[in-house]
Amino acid sequence: MLVALALALAPVMQAPPTQSPRVLDAGELRRVCLDLLGRPPLADERARWIGQPAEATLVAITESRGFWAQWLEEQLWYFLLVDQFAPRGDSVLRLPDALEAGEVDVRDAVHRLALAPNFDQRNPGADTFVTVVMEQLCGLSVDKQRRELEFGKKMYDGAQTRFLGGEGRTQSDVVKLAVQSESFARHYLTREHERLAHAKADPRALAQWTKRFQKDPREYPLLVREWLSGESLERRLATRRPISNRVWARSLHVDLLEAEPTREQTEPMRQALDSLADPAPLRSVMARLLLDGGKAKIEPLGSDRAAWARAQWLRVLGREPRADELTAVVDALAQPACRVETVLYALVTSEEAASY
Amino acid sequence: MKPEAQSVYTRRSVLQGAAAGAAGLCLAQARLEGATSPALPERKTKRVVLVAFAGGVRTKETFGKPDNVPNLMRISERGVLYTRARSANLGHYGAALSIFTGIAEQRGIRENSRGNDPTVFELVRKELGLASNDVWITTAGGAQQVNYSHSVHPDYGARFGATTLDGDGVFNREFRSLLERYGRPREWPQGEKDALVQVRRALSGGGTEAEQRRANSERVEQWILSELTRGTAEMTGANAADAKALRLARNLVTLFKPKLTAVVLQEADMAHGNYGGYVEVVRRNDAAIGELWTAIQADPELAATTALVVVPEFGRDRDLNSRRGLDHGDGSDELNYVTCLCAGPDMQRGLIVKDEVSVVDVAPTVCDLLGAKGRGGRKLPQLYS
Repeated sequence: MLVALALALAPVMQAPPTQSPRVLDAGELRRVCLDLLGRPPLADERARWIGQPAEATLVAITESRGFWAQWLEEQLWYFLLVDQFAPRGDSVLRLPDALEAGEVDVRDAVHRLALAPNFDQRNPGADTFVTVVMEQLCGLSVDKQRRELEFGKKMYDGAQTRFLGGEGRTQSDVVKLAVQSESFARHYLTREHERLAHAKADPRALAQWTKRFQKDPREYPLLVREWLSGESLERRLATRRPISNRVWARSLHVDLLEAEPTREQTEPMRQALDSLADPAPLRSVMARLLLDGGKAKIEPLGSDRAAWARAQWLRVLGREPRADELTAVVDALAQPACRVETVLYALVTSEEAASY
Repeated sequence: MKPEAQSVYTRRSVLQGAAAGAAGLCLAQARLEGATSPALPERKTKRVVLVAFAGGVRTKETFGKPDNVPNLMRISERGVLYTRARSANLGHYGAALSIFTGIAEQRGIRENSRGNDPTVFELVRKELGLASNDVWITTAGGAQQVNYSHSVHPDYGARFGATTLDGDGVFNREFRSLLERYGRPREWPQGEKDALVQVRRALSGGGTEAEQRRANSERVEQWILSELTRGTAEMTGANAADAKALRLARNLVTLFKPKLTAVVLQEADMAHGNYGGYVEVVRRNDAAIGELWTAIQADPELAATTALVVVPEFGRDRDLNSRRGLDHGDGSDELNYVTCLCAGPDMQRGLIVKDEVSVVDVAPTVCDLLGAKGRGGRKLPQLYS
């Protein structure tokens, strides 16, 4: 009987164990969303994605318009096309829709950015323009490539010449040749990998990615998913980094108002925060503006103060409160002067909330 | 906007906060950082205001045409003028950064990251044990310029950085509109403040350093709210961003009396496409620097102890471009040499030095003026009386 049972179970016992898919907890989902969407997850996203396989969540995110809107935001920042140099034309503002619909790829999109009038205004004159194209689009050091810079300047000024391996005679040719070059692909992927995986790319892997990208730039979202899977994802989640002011401003709105903010709501905040080397004093002012102004949507306290505190910790910090934190907050909430806003103010302005 | 009378934050409360905090915080921080004051020659200078007249400004439009800069001419009578200060064309950011580090290093033209070498702010804060409120920098060039506050050098960095503020970024109509939309923060009752401290302690684990950071942060928070009511946000015109940076510096110098206040201007760079506008910026900035100087001279304590240094990061091309503007890339003397002005209580008066000096000599000179050794380096010669 035992022998028969052992024989019957043998195939099952010898089969390789099926690996359960990697799922994201609340804190991990918050950090992935901050990276890819530039904000924490909304209530419905938390309900949909917490505890679900990471792979499916990454597919859903990288296929969303929000992912491309955040991508554009990051590129504008990279090129410092912000504030008075922020683009206002449809050709740039419509890029997230066009990217989501597959009408353009990221190389076309960067090409469009560099041809926009704001890019020209931001980088006036042949010397500045060609220097920025070489440095920022292609990752080249003009100090070491003076000849290339001079050729580029001549092309910018209308002379027929060679630049980055191609022929041209206009300012737009300078941009076109730059975005078509392999150095563009390599530099673009290097900086994007660093931005999203928070790590320097392995040179051999980078060479492979560059080949794939040069062949078809629509590979980019697939590469992003690769960068955020397996060991790369574990490495990324093992480290924290400071949250930027623009992401902080958006997070504040999501955390306190439970809604995705408009650019008009966050831009003045971001602009003001970027004006201080240490934005902590202004972050406090802004949190209080929302909390004292009565605009915040906060879960009512109810009779179970500990449960309320756990929910806020999970939502804002992505983790359960420690025992000492729980004791302190439950005790504080028992005091008549302490409001739920007081606790949320402490949470959103904490040093922990300033990194992710 | 609510009337100022209803505001929790007034000029008086900021003054009280600053006065109450300055001495204790400074001493506490000096102890915290293990700083000691070195024995250096006794000088009258206790404060320095350093204006980086950046954006690319040629001598031809400043001291080469005194009508454009009557105030700088007036101030130069009280100090030393270096008419041949060698600069490095490292892009605006790299070149202006070299004024503060004393080291000319190539930086990407749009690089939005901090330098590797400690700035003069970090050097004096660390060596002299100065509090963050003793060292300020106001800027006009947007987000990139807040990187001037401190380096990524492992021995220095953020904990010794300047309190940095880009005037046009905070004091603008958009930010005021936020206050109008949401309303001002209200005063919290003491019981609520106590509860907040309790939760914050649990979150941070407590500690003196964390509490000092919080106290300093709250004072800056109050000053910003107070400044918003003084009209800085309403300034407009060709040099509005520069004017805000200079106005904030003037208010800071007279209110907090910091040891080192730096200002970085930027708007002269409109010269690329608008020569006339560039000259207008030079004139307006001259007027604003004049107001700053006058405010210093009007306060006996500041007048007796404050030195002013004004220096562009580099000049501009010799000839106009095809848009009748001035770029910066021809390698001419007009681009490579600028004029540096130093004036103050310890300095020679009305002296013009025609020998070649360097823009990067400014950082060691500022350290020396404040009684710090810094990291050595050549100082501007023939400065002291």
